[in-house]
Amino acid sequence: MEKRNEPERNDMNILILNGGSLNGRGASCRKIAEAAVNESRARGWNVTAYDLDGMAIKPCRGCFACWLKHPGTCAIKDDEEPILRSIVASDVQIWISPVTFGGYSPALKKALDRSIPNILPFFTKRHGEVHHPHRYHNRRSYLVFGTLPSPNPEAERIFHNLVRRNALNLDSVMTESRVFYDGGVETVVAGQVGELLKAAAEGR
Amino acid sequence: MNTRMDNTKDKRKALFFVGSPKGKTSSSRSIGGYLMRKLAEAGLEAEEMTVAAALQSTENQHRMHKAVDAADLVIIAFPLYYDQLPAPLVQTLELIAERRKGTLVASPSAGPLVQKLAVIVQCGFPESLQNQPALDIMRQFATEAGFEWAGALALGMGGAVGGRSLERAGGVVRNVVKALDLAAASLAAGDGIPGEATALMAKPLMPRWLYVLAANWGFRREIKKHGARGRVHDRPYA
Repeated sequence: MEKRNEPERNDMNILILNGGSLNGRGASCRKIAEAAVNESRARGWNVTAYDLDGMAIKPCRGCFACWLKHPGTCAIKDDEEPILRSIVASDVQIWISPVTFGGYSPALKKALDRSIPNILPFFTKRHGEVHHPHRYHNRRSYLVFGTLPSPNPEAERIFHNLVRRNALNLDSVMTESRVFYDGGVETVVAGQVGELLKAAAEGR
Repeated sequence: MNTRMDNTKDKRKALFFVGSPKGKTSSSRSIGGYLMRKLAEAGLEAEEMTVAAALQSTENQHRMHKAVDAADLVIIAFPLYYDQLPAPLVQTLELIAERRKGTLVASPSAGPLVQKLAVIVQCGFPESLQNQPALDIMRQFATEAGFEWAGALALGMGGAVGGRSLERAGGVVRNVVKALDLAAASLAAGDGIPGEATALMAKPLMPRWLYVLAANWGFRREIKKHGARGRVHDRPYA
């Protein structure tokens, strides 16, 4: 792999969406979030982090008012609005979630479902498939971390494929996914999160 | 001992979950509702509930668990949101799986010995393959929650249904109707969704260029109707 010698940007905006629960299985997610915050701050980057499980975010009701009636803003006024702003300002997004049947937790999923005001309704072709164009011009990198109590190859396969599909739909600059197991998170997470953040910054 | 399954006079029960946040006005309900009518005609006892209603109160959650326990066949229909299931459906599946895992440990289920799960997913994109992560997640749910996988139907170009009943949607959905007829016959006989039905459902309803043209025209018409034509590209958070 070609080594890149570009200096790290010091004006990076990192957005962390932690979809772990406030108790139970959320412990591993919190450790990953803490590592991401620490690694980002150590590089002098701006960090905005949301613990989604504790926030008042209603589910998307599929009304499409954000596309058709008042373009760019959601009809529901709640804690999602600052997240929509943070998404627009972000260069790198970090999503953290317990792997839930191979997908994301309800808390993370609610926040993502409600982010469709940030895309346009019209269809456009990308990589041979039809997708929605972005409302805002900047493209982003995504680091997606899942947690499991123990290895589950099928759930992990589904999780990585889902992230790959998201990357395509979001037209990402760079996307990486990792799954960590409860119990072993501390020993591996800091190094991996740091390396991935560095790669994401270089990709900008 | 499962007494209900031993009583041959009892009808087999099919429980239909509408997984769309739009509930009874959704395309998911139009498609799943057609399948349920066919299953009822074939002699199954059909029950329907929306995910939104199931999550509304603790009482409704109890009702949902009771209905799931009693079902021989659970059918879940939903739209693709962000490459997978809408958040409330994930929450519902979590509740069902947690309870069933607990039930299996604490005491034998009072319901049928074998419970099947069949899935219908539809997306607004033309390519039905965009539904694949959602299907994988549903199958994984079946495994984790102890359901026997009875197959799935995945539809692209779901916007062409537009929440209308399939009988009213016309010839454009003829393959959808055929797929559902085949699926209903097979599920009613106690089998899974046949591959032929899956293939028919995955067929494009029209040429892709035509669907994209019609969809973009439809978006512009709706935007104009709501007086938002000049604001369609607004960037309120820039």
